[in-house]
Amino acid sequence: MSEDLESRLRAALRPVAPSHEFSQNLIARVTADQGSEANPGGTRRRSPKTTAWWLSASMAASLLIAAGVQHQLQERRETQRGLEARRQVIEALRMTSQKLNLAYEVIKSQSSFPADDKPGV
Amino acid sequence: MRICSVRIFFALMAPGLAWASPNPRLVLPEFSALAQKATESVTITLDASLLAMAGRFLNGNDPQDAATKEILKGLQGIYIRSYTFDKDAAYQQSDINAVRNQLSAPGWNRLVETRSRKTQADVDIYIMVENNRAIGLALIASEPRQITIVNIVGAIDLDKLHKLEGQFGVPKLDIDPPKGAEAPRN
Repeated sequence: MSEDLESRLRAALRPVAPSHEFSQNLIARVTADQGSEANPGGTRRRSPKTTAWWLSASMAASLLIAAGVQHQLQERRETQRGLEARRQVIEALRMTSQKLNLAYEVIKSQSSFPADDKPGV
Repeated sequence: MRICSVRIFFALMAPGLAWASPNPRLVLPEFSALAQKATESVTITLDASLLAMAGRFLNGNDPQDAATKEILKGLQGIYIRSYTFDKDAAYQQSDINAVRNQLSAPGWNRLVETRSRKTQADVDIYIMVENNRAIGLALIASEPRQITIVNIVGAIDLDKLHKLEGQFGVPKLDIDPPKGAEAPRN
């Protein structure tokens, strides 16, 4: 009795090759799952051409920013030098005028006190 | 080869040509001994490019800046050395002999020489004249506690210096340039 049951079970559970349609569906499903794991956001993968364009654009933007910063720094340095030169010019003229004033005072006092000072003009 | 020969010729001739034309630029020494003794030192060296740069930062609408701008026109350099000391007679006249010697060279004319017993201030003003135009000014002011040397190179307009009256405290100088010298007209 038991032997009969066992042989019937074996016959019922024997390995059977899957149908061709089942295999195709399975392969398609697995491929689709792998694709969604690699690109979870669902966005499309960029082509090498697009990547190159983005790289070039980034480099160009970086260069532009660097050039702009350099220009700004140069301009700031020039402004500082110009302001310093202006300050020195004003100081130089102030000192010159002060010394001319000194000479003038002596010349002026000569007319009032001829014996005190001795200008030679 | 020919270019090289021309270059060598001019290189050899350059010192002679420089000697031939009077140079209103004084060679101002280091004055390191004076600087060491001084409590305050002022060194101003403004060549033509710095003067031009300063001119760009002067506001033409401001009266003082406008007057300064006018004076800067035609100037090629301003050089000042000034030393202030904390006691009298801290320096010797011989300390600036190197400058005075240059002012005895041809081309320089003493415009003003003042000696004040009251203030003990001596001021000598020299100008260099070329083709009836003042092309350089030198000023040596010796005070008991201060010595100042000013050298201005370029077309100096004494009228414009006069116009500084009230701007930097410059008085109107009733002095005439020496014979043959006239203020350049810009």
